[in-house]
Amino acid sequence: MITSKFEFRSPKDVEEAVRLYREFQGEAVYLSGGTDLVPRMKLGLEKPKAVIDLKRIVPLTTVEDQGDWIRIGPLARIFDLKQNDLVGDYFPALEASLEATSCESLQMRGTIGGNLLQNSRCLFYNQSEFWRRSKGFCLKMGGESCNAVPGAKTCFANYCSDNAPALCTLSAEIELSGPDEVRRLNLEELYTNKADKPFDLQPGEILTAIFVPKKKSIGGYEKLRVRGAIDYPLLSAAFSFVDGTGKLAIGAVGPKPYVVEMKQPSHDAIGEAVEVVLKQVRPVGNTVLDPDYRKRMIPVLAGRLINKVMEGAK
Amino acid sequence: MERFKVKLQLNGEAVELDVNPSETLLETLRDRLELTGAKDGCGLGACGSCTVLLNGLPTRSCIVLTAELDGSEVSTIESLADGTKPAPVQESFMEKGAVQCGFCTPGMILTAKGLLDRNSRPTKEEIIRSISSNLCRCTGYKKIVEAVEAASSTETPKT
Repeated sequence: MITSKFEFRSPKDVEEAVRLYREFQGEAVYLSGGTDLVPRMKLGLEKPKAVIDLKRIVPLTTVEDQGDWIRIGPLARIFDLKQNDLVGDYFPALEASLEATSCESLQMRGTIGGNLLQNSRCLFYNQSEFWRRSKGFCLKMGGESCNAVPGAKTCFANYCSDNAPALCTLSAEIELSGPDEVRRLNLEELYTNKADKPFDLQPGEILTAIFVPKKKSIGGYEKLRVRGAIDYPLLSAAFSFVDGTGKLAIGAVGPKPYVVEMKQPSHDAIGEAVEVVLKQVRPVGNTVLDPDYRKRMIPVLAGRLINKVMEGAK
Repeated sequence: MERFKVKLQLNGEAVELDVNPSETLLETLRDRLELTGAKDGCGLGACGSCTVLLNGLPTRSCIVLTAELDGSEVSTIESLADGTKPAPVQESFMEKGAVQCGFCTPGMILTAKGLLDRNSRPTKEEIIRSISSNLCRCTGYKKIVEAVEAASSTETPKT
């Protein structure tokens, strides 16, 4: 049951949505598929005064070939997108990440924009209010310190988007439309590198487009999880090879995907790229798997993925 | 708090509802309309026991707000049988013994129905991919997959 009471609005265009956000003085949330937001409201992690449903804004749902770019509407559903020929022909890493997202029923509801803007997760955070209250609120809930690493003043929640690492390897850009401006940035610039507030979004901004360079690529996606379906990643690796350059992105071990470029995906280059990632990540005991195991799986997953992709290209 | 008016095509009939904006579809079905076939399991969209068909697609009703659904078509497990005659997919579940405690069964059957409506001859892999959306803690899935395979040869494709 959702205990907080809110008003519901269903705007027909982006301008109206942003206007409504201002009307509710920022105490509103945008709703896409709801597969992240509605559970968050049920757990009391979001207590908005208004829910602004973006699903009736048609231009946000379409996929368009713009010549040099493929524009993906953020409200495109994961299930539809993974069957889209443009995605299959040009972006195999994205296609594999869409297939690996949750399960078929949730792919039919969940959207790619919602997948990108899902909040970061932690075993000590994604719990009922009753549970969280009994332990004392953590940093991400406005408390004094972390509950996963007692006493720590840093949040260690993991950003568990499956599609973001894949889009990072494809050098995707995003468009954000807010009350004051429309801005376009590299997807990698969306992240603050702070797990308690993972996105560099201005109040009221809406993700209104995802642009992926229309270049043939080879690539793939590997995901570590306990069950073969439904689960969020406990570690993920995406790799794309475009125009003679490879990009590796490691996800779900921190507040953002860790992206490394490599000229040639040789054995040594993979080792070097993984080293770059390992220097940045600090997995802690905030998932159902041991942090040391997750860390040691980074080279395993990355190596397995890149070798498979490059073998397939021969 | 403002109420929200929603028009639905529910199990083939037009209904007009006056709901709380924070009400989930599962709450509307179970508490307001007394359609208790969809089960309240995890409540967080993970288990699939609350599955209904929303515009033909298997959907977890516990994480959908009824307010989102104006103009939509919703089918619950109650709509499958023709009077007392079970639908072919329901017959298959009974014949193959694909039910133990039964809690996941309405969701399983609707997920299977959703698959068969868009693909009347799914491969075993496609069946497993669809059915893995729903958790069953008793049967181990073998009988469920067999039931869907059996139903795929008897289910009349959607016209």
